[in-house]
Amino acid sequence: MDYKYIEQLLERYWECQTTLEEEAILRTFFRQEDVPASLLPYRQLFLEEDAMANEHLGKDFADRMLRLVRQSGQAQAEGEGPSSVGQRQEGVFVCKARRLTFMRRLRPFYRVAGLVALLLSIGNAVQQSFTEEDEASVPQMAEAARIDSLQHITISSPEQQSAALSPHTSDSLNAQAR
Amino acid sequence: MDNVSFQTTVLPLSDRLFRLALRVTMNRAEAEDVVQDTLLRVWERRSEWEQIDSLEAFAIATCRNRALDVAKRAGRNTVPLDKVEGSHLSVTGTQRALEAREQLSLVRRLMDSLPELQRTIMLLRDIEGQSYGEIAKELGISETQVKVYLHRARSKVRAGLGIMRD
Repeated sequence: MDYKYIEQLLERYWECQTTLEEEAILRTFFRQEDVPASLLPYRQLFLEEDAMANEHLGKDFADRMLRLVRQSGQAQAEGEGPSSVGQRQEGVFVCKARRLTFMRRLRPFYRVAGLVALLLSIGNAVQQSFTEEDEASVPQMAEAARIDSLQHITISSPEQQSAALSPHTSDSLNAQAR
Repeated sequence: MDNVSFQTTVLPLSDRLFRLALRVTMNRAEAEDVVQDTLLRVWERRSEWEQIDSLEAFAIATCRNRALDVAKRAGRNTVPLDKVEGSHLSVTGTQRALEAREQLSLVRRLMDSLPELQRTIMLLRDIEGQSYGEIAKELGISETQVKVYLHRARSKVRAGLGIMRD
């Protein structure tokens, strides 16, 4: 059997000129039992590398890692502190301070302000409806007021005043007319 | 929810990271600790994943740095080559199976005797099957440098195996 190709590949392997695929061919070749004596010493290298590639961690390692990650995750969550203000933890009252902006500080009053605005607008609407009823009676009242004022004017005219002041004179005038 | 995500994104990297950490620290227990730290760190920084080009490259770089720290602290970086050669001289077993096992461990020790960067590059290329571009990104060096270091590594291994053949 001609091993020239393998020998060439091996030579290129020592010179670091082989590709990963060519190195895989070498590895496969050396895995077989039937290797010529001239290449036998190198067989050990590839077999040993195969053995090294099969070195693994113990089966319990993965479980242990997962436990550790879970623990560190919990520790982290505790380290970050409670999300709500004033949370009780293991008998210790933890209070988280927060910086409040002026607008946030006023937030409780927003509701009151809203309620007041609502009441005001309702009150306004009610008042307006009453006012409309009043306005409906305005023409009659205005007429009455005009009549009143006319009466006043009539009453307060100079002739009437003089008549009121001197009934005798008016009597004499009446007599003259007669 | 978090666990599902961790399971599908980060956890599948663990064996790869383990092999890398093992080649750097040369110690199974330490490598396992390194992988654990790496996975947790990668997971904790998930908010930054969008800014990261490749999650895998980020994980590998993190793992390698941690493993290097551990190895440095332990004063362990490479296995001296004389140890490797000494073990080679002791290969006198007559049984073929025993011989094969000894040879296997010789290869491993040859690789372990390489400087860390060469060893890591050889692992990423030959064991993890990564492209030169991927390795360059993970290690923060150029593709040419990757090839240079890999060439040195393979040459040393070849020479070590060559001694055995003669």
